[in-house]
Amino acid sequence: MSLERPDDHDHDAWMEKRDFSRVERMYLTVLIWFDKRLRIVDYLEILEGLYYKVNMQMPKSHTEQYGLDNKFWYWYPLYALGSFSTLAYIVAAISGALLGFYYSPGALGASGDPTIAYESLTFIMTDLNFGFMLRSIHRWAAQVMVAAVFLHMLRVYFTGAYKEPRELNWLLGIVLISLTLLFGYSGYLLPWDQLAFWAGQIGVEMSLSIPLIGEWVAQLIFGGFTPNPATLQRMYILHVFFLPFVVTTLIAVHIAIVWMQGIAEPH
Amino acid sequence: MTEHDSPDDGVSEQPTDEDPVRTDETPVRTDGGETGIVPPDDETPTWSERKERRQGLARTTYEYFERSRREDQDLREESDYVERDVLGFPTWPHEVVRNLALTSFFVGMLVFLAAALPPHIGAPANSGVTPPTILPDWYLYWSFGLLKLGPLNPDLALLGDQKLMADRTFGVLANLVVVGAIAVVPFINKGSARRPVEQPFWAAVGVFGVILSVTLAALSIKNLLPLDSHLLFDLTFLLPFVGAFITYAALKSMREGYMFELNRRYYRLRPPK
Repeated sequence: MSLERPDDHDHDAWMEKRDFSRVERMYLTVLIWFDKRLRIVDYLEILEGLYYKVNMQMPKSHTEQYGLDNKFWYWYPLYALGSFSTLAYIVAAISGALLGFYYSPGALGASGDPTIAYESLTFIMTDLNFGFMLRSIHRWAAQVMVAAVFLHMLRVYFTGAYKEPRELNWLLGIVLISLTLLFGYSGYLLPWDQLAFWAGQIGVEMSLSIPLIGEWVAQLIFGGFTPNPATLQRMYILHVFFLPFVVTTLIAVHIAIVWMQGIAEPH
Repeated sequence: MTEHDSPDDGVSEQPTDEDPVRTDETPVRTDGGETGIVPPDDETPTWSERKERRQGLARTTYEYFERSRREDQDLREESDYVERDVLGFPTWPHEVVRNLALTSFFVGMLVFLAAALPPHIGAPANSGVTPPTILPDWYLYWSFGLLKLGPLNPDLALLGDQKLMADRTFGVLANLVVVGAIAVVPFINKGSARRPVEQPFWAAVGVFGVILSVTLAALSIKNLLPLDSHLLFDLTFLLPFVGAFITYAALKSMREGYMFELNRRYYRLRPPK
């Protein structure tokens, strides 16, 4: 008998003692290698707990309790508008990422001659395989998303779903609808055609008319007091970098709050 | 307090005189299950224990946690909700298949729209040529219409008929007012009423807003509409009121019958004690 105490944590010896198959042994070796460094058992335990918690037995919902299923399901399409706007957002994100492979936001000069942005759009729409369809999908996804968001807000208003425990989500929804409109506006400017240029002009004038900080806002967001190449560059960064992060995060929080508070059912 | 005696934790001895409320009753377990994170000594301290180790705000926080847990427990005990005797629909395959079907249908609709009505692109940007119509996308028409409210901008006789602010400042301010009005709604309208018939006034307010957004959109494209612009401006603010009054009147007259039905169904299910 040796003086050394038997090592309870000698996992290799334990693996030798058990008669594992080759697959099991490889799996365990990898698992142990990671677990020694990252202690992933703790996280697996949390995940397991989550798994059982989402499948937990829920009390009867209000509609079930009072037999209002017929009333509720009749209105079900209106209750899917939030999901539909999220889906449209995902479609727009995928098609937008693909468009981003071919688009470049340069605007050489706004004095009559075609610009880089406009030319890259012409390339996408005429030369690129499936490019016209890609832009079409992106644009329609954006339109449908905005429409779904508006209708979602009307549904929430007319079914009183914004009431007491859900005020925060209503406010978050207002922020989200504003950011959606900003998303749409910044995307509208990217083709840098006549409509985009003059819509940019309206935007510049709107920000210039803010008292006290108007000029500063116009400089910050539009990079000048008339639409210019800097405007296009800033709208591009807003559209593909800033807004996606912010809006995706806020949508996640919005949906998480709905998950925590439950759907406000009519009664 | 005394059943979990911790010998070398001197701090937990001090506040034993507290919590006199529930000492004589059966102790209610107010601490929810494990936290999922295993502390070194394999013994997660309960909220009572954590409370005793804290001072000041942290202690107050844990006291509140205890209270809210107890509230949950009491509500759960006195609730007469019927628990389901089966688990909900399994996520796989039931929910997933249904959601995938809905999702594919929706995405298919998008692709169909995109194929049937592809967007076209106008002439390249040119600062020298102002196009006859300048318009944002359709979803910004309402905001664009709010920028054209110059005639409503009050001019003060005191300032010699000068306007207090520029027309375009007034327009931007109108946008902020609209968003602010939407934001305060849940802080004004509370209670459990959900159906429009239960609150005709708030339904009328909603219809007012919807019609106003449509008429404002029409106002923003006034040079494209075959309508006298003064008439259009008046209609912009008249039609929402008309719609709101009609909604109010209709819902008010429907209300009695509706509430009767609703109450009857409710009391049939839960007869008054």
